[in-house]
Amino acid sequence: MIEFKGVNKWFGKLHVLAEINLFIPKGEVLVICGPSGSGKSTLIRCINKLEPIQEGEIIVNEMSVHKPSTNLTKLRGEVGFVFQQFHLYPNMTVLQNIMLAPIHVKKIAKADAEKIAREKLERVGLSEKAAAYPIQLSGGQQQRVAIARNLAMSPEIMLFDEPTSALDPEMIGEVLDVMVGLASEGITMCVVTHEMGFAKKVAHRVLFMDEGKIIETGKPGAFFDNPKTDRAADFISKILTH
Amino acid sequence: MMAFYLSRLVEIFPFFLKGLWMTTKIAFISLIICTLIGFVLGVIRASNNVWLKRIVGVYVAFARGTPFVVQIFIVFFVFPEWGIQLEAFPAALLAMAIMGSAFVCEIVAGGINSIPKGQWEASASSGLTKIQQLRLVIIPQSMKVIIPPLVGQYVLLIKDTSVVSVIGVTELTRVGWITVVRIPEGLMVFALVGVLYFSISYPLILLSNYLERRMTV
Repeated sequence: MIEFKGVNKWFGKLHVLAEINLFIPKGEVLVICGPSGSGKSTLIRCINKLEPIQEGEIIVNEMSVHKPSTNLTKLRGEVGFVFQQFHLYPNMTVLQNIMLAPIHVKKIAKADAEKIAREKLERVGLSEKAAAYPIQLSGGQQQRVAIARNLAMSPEIMLFDEPTSALDPEMIGEVLDVMVGLASEGITMCVVTHEMGFAKKVAHRVLFMDEGKIIETGKPGAFFDNPKTDRAADFISKILTH
Repeated sequence: MMAFYLSRLVEIFPFFLKGLWMTTKIAFISLIICTLIGFVLGVIRASNNVWLKRIVGVYVAFARGTPFVVQIFIVFFVFPEWGIQLEAFPAALLAMAIMGSAFVCEIVAGGINSIPKGQWEASASSGLTKIQQLRLVIIPQSMKVIIPPLVGQYVLLIKDTSVVSVIGVTELTRVGWITVVRIPEGLMVFALVGVLYFSISYPLILLSNYLERRMTV
C-alpha cells in the first residue's frame, strides 16, 4: 500500500530523512512518534508530496509519488491529510469546506456532494454545525470537520500530523474517538502523535524516529513497556512525565 | 472682468465635459486592463516559478521606479523607432496599462502572500490543482486584503490620467491648458478642472474607505 525505498531528504544541510525503508500494508494503523525535529511530520508529508524528496522512491497504491508523470490529483484523492492546525477554509461554511474537493476534484454533482458532506458531518458528530463558519467552532470541532472533509473523498489512506497537539486537553478525546472509529473500519492510517492511549488502543505498530532515522518499530504494548533502544526509552519516559 | 470670464467659462463648459468624458474613458478602460494584467502578473509574482517571477520583478521595478511621464514619452516617442507607431489615445492607454498593472501586481501578490501556507497545503492535499487552489481557496480569501488598496489604486490611476495630456490627448487637464490661454484666470479654470476630477475620484475614495472598514472587521 505505502512503501518507502531508500528515501533521503535534506533541508539544506539538515538530513531530515535518512535512508528510510518502510512498508505499510493495507489496513494498518501506524503510529509514528519521536522527539520534535526527528522527521516524523516530514515522513508523512512526503507520502502525498507536500514535500519533495531528494533520493529514493515512495510508492502509494502502485503510484510512484515523486515521479513527475504521476497523477497527483488521483493520488491525493486517495490519501487524506489531517493537519495539526486544521487548516479549514475560513471563508466557507463547514458544509462548503467538506463539499469543495468532491465537487471540484471528483466532479460529483452538487446535490450528491452535499449528501455526502452531511453524512460525514454526522459521522463526526457535528450535523448541527453544517452552516457554521470555522471561526465559530472550538478547536476540537474544527479538527473533526477537517477529518470529515477528508472522509468526503473516501480516501483509502489517512495521514494525521499531530492532530491533537493544538487542542485544549478537554477536546483531545472527541477527536481521538473519531480516529478510533476510523481505525476500526480498516482505513490505512499513519498517525504522528504522542497520544500513548490512542497508540495502545488501536495502533498495529509503533514507529519511533530520531534524527531522521527509524530507530525502532514494534507492537505498541511492547514498544511502550519495553523499548529496545535507550533513545526510545528516554523518549517514553519524557512523554510519561510531561 | 471676473463676471465676463465666468460667463465665458459657462459657455465653453461643454468642452470641459468632453474632457471629463475622455478622462473617464481613459481611466475606466485602463483600470480594467490594469486589473486583468495585474492579477495575472500578481499570481506569477506570488508563485514559485523563479524565472517568471524575476522577469515580472524587473517589469514591476521599472514601471514603479520611473516617472509616469517618462513612460508615456517612451511609448509615444521611442516605440515608433522600434516600429510600434501609436496614436495618442492608444499610446496613453498602453502607458497607463504598463504603469497601473505593475501597481496592481504588487497589491495582488501581497494579498496572495498574506494567506497562510496551510491553506495551500490543505487544498493541495485534497487533490485540487494549483489553478483550482488559487481560484477556489486562495484568491477568494485574499480579496479581503486586495480590494481596499486596489480601489485606492484606482483613485491614483484616475489622477494619473492627467499626465497623458503631455502627448496631446484632449482630456480634462489639457482642456484646462487650452482654456487658460483664452481665459487668463488660472485659479478659476483649474479650480473647475480640480472639481471635475474630484467628482469622479471622490466616490471611489468613499468606496475605498468603506471597504477598508468593512473588510478589516
